[in-house]
Amino acid sequence: MIRNLYVLYGMIVLGTLAMAEYRGWSLNSVDEVKNVPRSVRDNPGSYRSVYNSYHHYTGGK
Amino acid sequence: MNASGPNPPGTPQVKALNCPGCGAAFTLRSLSQAVTVVCDHCHSILDAQDPRLTILQKFKAAVDEDPPLIPLGRRGTIRGAAYEVVGFERRTIHVDGVPYSWHEYVLFNPYKGFRYLTEYNGHWNDTSILRSLPTVNNDVSPPTVSYLGETYKHFQTAKAATSFVLGEFPWQVRVGESSDVSDYVSPPRVISSERTGKEITWSMGEYISGRDIWKAFGLEGNPPEPVGVYENQPSPLSAETTTIWAAFAGFMVLLVLMFIGFSSFARNERVFQGTYGFNTNTRGEAPFVTDVFELKGHTSDLELTTSTNVDNKWIYLSYALINQDTGQAQDFGREVSYYHGYDEDGSWSEGGREDSVAIPSVPPGNYYLRVEPESDFGHGTIYYSISAKRDVPQVSFFGIALLALLVPAGLITWRSMNFEHLRWAESDYAPADSSDDDSNGLDRPITLGNMFGKGSDS
Repeated sequence: MIRNLYVLYGMIVLGTLAMAEYRGWSLNSVDEVKNVPRSVRDNPGSYRSVYNSYHHYTGGK
Repeated sequence: MNASGPNPPGTPQVKALNCPGCGAAFTLRSLSQAVTVVCDHCHSILDAQDPRLTILQKFKAAVDEDPPLIPLGRRGTIRGAAYEVVGFERRTIHVDGVPYSWHEYVLFNPYKGFRYLTEYNGHWNDTSILRSLPTVNNDVSPPTVSYLGETYKHFQTAKAATSFVLGEFPWQVRVGESSDVSDYVSPPRVISSERTGKEITWSMGEYISGRDIWKAFGLEGNPPEPVGVYENQPSPLSAETTTIWAAFAGFMVLLVLMFIGFSSFARNERVFQGTYGFNTNTRGEAPFVTDVFELKGHTSDLELTTSTNVDNKWIYLSYALINQDTGQAQDFGREVSYYHGYDEDGSWSEGGREDSVAIPSVPPGNYYLRVEPESDFGHGTIYYSISAKRDVPQVSFFGIALLALLVPAGLITWRSMNFEHLRWAESDYAPADSSDDDSNGLDRPITLGNMFGKGSDS
């Protein structure tokens, strides 16, 4: 019983893995932005990235 | 399995008698095979072999002191044969002055003879006397006995005393008499030796569920729920553990094949490469866009690698991967920083000069990157290169899959091992950290499933 459940679970894991690899899933996250104007190619500064206000690390020991 | 009701052929006949102690009528169920019989009313222990029913012992006990869970006289079918419950006793050991007791039921079939049921805290054993002697090996630790090709490990030895009796017994039972009993286990079986003087009786018990007992004897209600892990209780997971690790091995083979397959057949195609310089000495934004590059094939990831020459500096790059055809963008930022130095602890370093990110599920199309670098002002020019690869296998997912497969197998193994740990925690070989606790849920050291049969095969 437990073995059958484990085999089923393992097949789901490997199936999900195959799907993730084929579809190019990633652990990294990105923000989707829609309808970016074509003028960005001519004027890159017109696009405001949501990451511009990111607090940068200025460390070192 | 229930065989109560009218006597079928082969069921015990009964004989009505009167107790010489109190005069109460009682029945003798196992007839000439009973050696002693206990009066239900005054608890006098009588010599069943003597026509005058000589009183062997009188002891005081309330009738309801320890009522048997299976009433005397109840019939049931065990292993295909009808048996009647003819006797009941309580046996007790003392550990650190604390008495611990369990119950034994004497079953009788006129053709099959006697067999026994023992019960402690909801754990039952179906027990019979061995017809041949097992081989004892005291040269190993723990000592073992071998019987019919099976090896049993010594579990516990203790002195057990009879503390309550009722009904008929195939030996001269006495309240207060004691014997040394040793249990050897090989779940679901246990072999027990009972030593009284120079006589040793061997018996074998097999773990049986309370539900099966209730069904066999047609008892109403539910049996007591088992508490803790009993000495010969079969582990529900021990058999599963082996098969689960076999399945795990199969999955590992599949995982390796999948890794080879995806590594071999992924496009892993470089679609963009560019090198840039960011002059930090000039103020103001410096965003720019790259040339358009085409992503082919099915929807898959795009791995973007940023390599820099930062040295005790950082650079932050706001990226947008923009689909020229649809106007859809994927916005993200990456920081690359590398610091190093030397202090009283020696040399140190933090970060690195390269960074990679996998942009998930990018559909095919024509794309360009919008890049906006940032860094501290006045650190000169930071050079960096951007490289994009299409359809790159993500090794991390294989690691996650490996863990996802390993964790349940490990948990099941751990539970199985824990079951065995709880079993042996109450044995004579308990680990030091479990000798005095109640870790297996039983409130006494387990011992002594089956000790019977004085006058039986020895």
